Amino acid sequence: MPKIEVNENLFFELVGRRMDAAELEPALETAKAELDGWDQSGPESERVIKIELNDTNRPDLWSTAGVARQLRVKAGGAIPEYPFFSRDGDVRHSEYRVVVDSSIQKLRPFMAGFVISGKAISDAMLRDAIQTQEKLCSNFGRKRRSVSMGMYRIDLIKWPVAYKGVDPDAVSFVPLQMEETMTLRRIVAEHPKGKEYGHIVSGSPVYPILMGADGGVLSMAPIINSADIGAVQVGDRDLLVEFTGIDMAAVCLSANIVACDFADAGYEIRPLRVDYAFDTPFGRSVTFPYYFQQPASVDSGRVTKLLGDNIGPEDVVSALAMMGVKAEAHGQHVRAWPPEYRDDFLHAVDLVEDVMIGRGMASFAPERPHDYTIGRLSPIEAFTRKAKDVMVGLGYQEMVYNYLGSGKDYIERMNVPSDDVIRISNPMTENFEYVRPSILPGLLQSEAVSSKAPYPHRIFEAGKVAFLDDARNYGTITRQRMGFLCSHQAADYNELAGVVSALLYYLGEEYVVEDSADPRYLPGRQARILVDGVEIGVFGELHPAVLENWGITMPSVACELDLDSLL
Amino acid sequence: MDPRSFLKGLHPLEIKVLLRYAPGEPLDSSRLAADLDYVEGHANQAQAWLIAKNLAAETGRTARTVYELTPLGRTWLESGSPEERMVAFLTGNGPAAMPAICQAIGMEQKDAGSAFGRLSKEGVLAMTPEKLVSVVDASRSKRAVALKALLSMAAAAEGGLIDEGQLDEQGKALMAEIAKKRGSGDAAFRAAERETVTWALAGEAAAVSALLREEGVSGDELGAVTQGILESGSWKGAAFRSYNIRSRPARLIPGRRNPYVQFLESVKDKLCSLGFEEFDGGLVETEFWNGDALFMPQFHSARDIHDVYYLADPTKAKSIEEPYQSRVAATHENGGATGSRGWRYGFDREFTKRLVLRSQGTVLSARQLPTAKVPGKYFGIARCFRYDKVDATHLSDFYQTEGIVLGDDVNLRTLLGFLEMFAVEVAGAKEVKYVPGYFPFTEPSVEVHIKHPVLGWFELGGAGIFRPEVTEPLGVSVPVLAWGIGIDRMALMALGLNDLRELFSYDIESVRLRRALLK
Repeated sequence: MPKIEVNENLFFELVGRRMDAAELEPALETAKAELDGWDQSGPESERVIKIELNDTNRPDLWSTAGVARQLRVKAGGAIPEYPFFSRDGDVRHSEYRVVVDSSIQKLRPFMAGFVISGKAISDAMLRDAIQTQEKLCSNFGRKRRSVSMGMYRIDLIKWPVAYKGVDPDAVSFVPLQMEETMTLRRIVAEHPKGKEYGHIVSGSPVYPILMGADGGVLSMAPIINSADIGAVQVGDRDLLVEFTGIDMAAVCLSANIVACDFADAGYEIRPLRVDYAFDTPFGRSVTFPYYFQQPASVDSGRVTKLLGDNIGPEDVVSALAMMGVKAEAHGQHVRAWPPEYRDDFLHAVDLVEDVMIGRGMASFAPERPHDYTIGRLSPIEAFTRKAKDVMVGLGYQEMVYNYLGSGKDYIERMNVPSDDVIRISNPMTENFEYVRPSILPGLLQSEAVSSKAPYPHRIFEAGKVAFLDDARNYGTITRQRMGFLCSHQAADYNELAGVVSALLYYLGEEYVVEDSADPRYLPGRQARILVDGVEIGVFGELHPAVLENWGITMPSVACELDLDSLL
Repeated sequence: MDPRSFLKGLHPLEIKVLLRYAPGEPLDSSRLAADLDYVEGHANQAQAWLIAKNLAAETGRTARTVYELTPLGRTWLESGSPEERMVAFLTGNGPAAMPAICQAIGMEQKDAGSAFGRLSKEGVLAMTPEKLVSVVDASRSKRAVALKALLSMAAAAEGGLIDEGQLDEQGKALMAEIAKKRGSGDAAFRAAERETVTWALAGEAAAVSALLREEGVSGDELGAVTQGILESGSWKGAAFRSYNIRSRPARLIPGRRNPYVQFLESVKDKLCSLGFEEFDGGLVETEFWNGDALFMPQFHSARDIHDVYYLADPTKAKSIEEPYQSRVAATHENGGATGSRGWRYGFDREFTKRLVLRSQGTVLSARQLPTAKVPGKYFGIARCFRYDKVDATHLSDFYQTEGIVLGDDVNLRTLLGFLEMFAVEVAGAKEVKYVPGYFPFTEPSVEVHIKHPVLGWFELGGAGIFRPEVTEPLGVSVPVLAWGIGIDRMALMALGLNDLRELFSYDIESVRLRRALLK
């Protein structure tokens, strides 16, 4: 979940008033945000507030202006108007134009942008824009794959700008952080950003480029800006902000969010016309920022049903207004227009949640449920508890272990083949690479680390194991098992045979034993346990070779039972 | 020290000494043997215990010699000394030459020679002119009688020991002749130096013995309650010795439940009591149930290689259940029949088959939906797996507690009602507050924060109403409340731990000694 840092002065200026932590914390709940840190020791103009945002569907909240806007409106501020947006049938005039060439259509077809103007960019705003770029492009933009963002000094640009695919060996420019001219291919191979993001373009015969009418390179989107046009500094005026990507709605929404942020901070937003050589979901010529969102609707009856309070259509409209959402009631039906910077109303229930937040959680009184239902444990849990009670009566200590472990512990040390052990293809370390196929390795691990614990040791665990089973749809099967181990100077087969007998007696099972050849146990001192002809477990004296593998020097006997097959 | 404080800790061996002797009277083991019939071991115990309690003090030490019967001495007692055997042989067989005697009674020539020397000196044996040894008068050997007496005396004594003080002059002289300090293998007695400790009652002994008399304690009280005593009824009228009930009891190692598992079970029991039925499932899941069915888009950031464990082989399920797969696919693509606009991307039917280790307990809630009753309440405490670096606050596998409530009349307010019940009943919360939350599969979503009596304010869990995009493809048309509560922090507190790894400890002793502090 994104965490952002906001400049304290800029933030409170945008909220409309200052707050202390005690006020800010509950106010942030409206944005599903949490105060993550606020160091108030430095000079006021340099202090930052750390905020964590929980809603991954609200990228508009991942910036200073975005969080401030939500708080300002909820506190009674007017729903902001953004007149610079073009809408279907109401397109704004644009002084600037980008031409998107068909050569880019297969690689990264969509482009949006605008120009910010009116005042020089401040340090706080530039920092915030860089942070927005990072959060938007890494989380919402899936590490720049679906959306990336760039900013440029407009006074160096010759219009119209072209966005196109070019031969990576034929075009070169000086990228940021470098001092020499490099071809696009070299940038991908050698530049730090090229190494990080180059995979987005490197499979294509052409690489993307943004180039002015005079051939001056703005950037190799989405990798790196040029060192001149693309080097934005505090004090610059008139900047081009552009977005490219593979999802038109995501590219457009990102542009809208950043445009609204700059507008809230007092900058003028000038539209940008983008002419495509191919069809896009929004047409061949689109002037950005562009209001592309579709209205969403909900019946007040659904709101009432889901929230539990009687909420009429006008109540829905006013609650949505508290969230910055314009809406109109027509009878029970409420039609809402998502704000320019939001596109997260997938279903009517998304509006219901905004009504909930708009009215405030405190307005909903908890109500005791009145449906009568019968509670019960799962049959295997109830049965397992019975078995565990008997083990405790027999003097055994219950243990509980992790389900992931190493091949060394689960396979090599147990002297068993790896045939049916589930392996993870992306383990974090080899210590957690396999799913346990048996309870026994955990019990032996306990013995291996507990030689100083007073003997006798009698331990058991009941829990799940899983292993490969080709007959199943998932190629694996999960079983409820119980394993127990006894370790002391005189531990032997006979002692455990008595335990098995007592346990199965109290579980009401008639059993017989048969010869067994399990490599974990000593030959001739192990037995398969059969109930109604089905093997439900094995027990015996652990093989000295296995004990040696674990560094155990005390005679030990063990058993593992399949509880599922006894149920 | 209060003399009364001694009473409970006194052994009968001490009590009898305290009652019998006055402070200052010189005591040693032979006196206790004579007066109280104590064997040496008991006398020494009484002495050591009384001195340790400062009820007696050592007054001196004197050296003395003790004689211990050797295995050879025991053989002599049973089969006769060389002299006895020689006389017996000659008495039975008539005069014989020395070599013949040696052979017959299995004796070396030199030993036979010295035995003959002693016996002829006493006039028992004589040598005939034919160099045959013959018996003169078998009853004349006083030495043989005296030796026999020493051997018998030693054999009857504890440990085969004779104290030199027990011997008369003749005995002393004979013992000096036959006992050896070293190389005693060919002697009947081994001689050793011992110290006799003399001691006397001291300190509070007089006051303690006065108290013993006052309380009527004799030292003859019964020890154990035995089967024999109960059968014979001999306990009637007798007194039993008091134990020192303050002595440290012996450690037992009982069979015992694991406190963490018990904690989890107590939560399960609580949820059952609130009308919830437990569900369960396998550890291996498909992307379909682990994410797709929960309306998490396939490109969601929580679904990439750094969050979920994939199986190496097999990598995919053979098939995904229909009609759920088709409905879920349509819901992702364009909302299907749910009234949603969907995520607007091409649903990948191969990706959805990929096998993963269950990463969230909500999977089991989704799996329950097709067969759930309405109204119905279900819960599970499910082991889940996350791609996390293991440390004090993260585990690679851990338990999640999740549940659902289905009903035509359930809504946000009843959800808050449930959360309040969990907060109070399961977590022991004193105050509860709710804030808006975000989860991909619920809308609206809330977080519940509680004020715990010990831990203070913290987030107990998340909840919400399942999105129609989750419930409708799985055949459920009523609202479904879904909740998950985090109980590990409470478990750590209840067990007095502060590291999640300790919950799954391999260390037998640490688990044995762990107590559940939660009531």
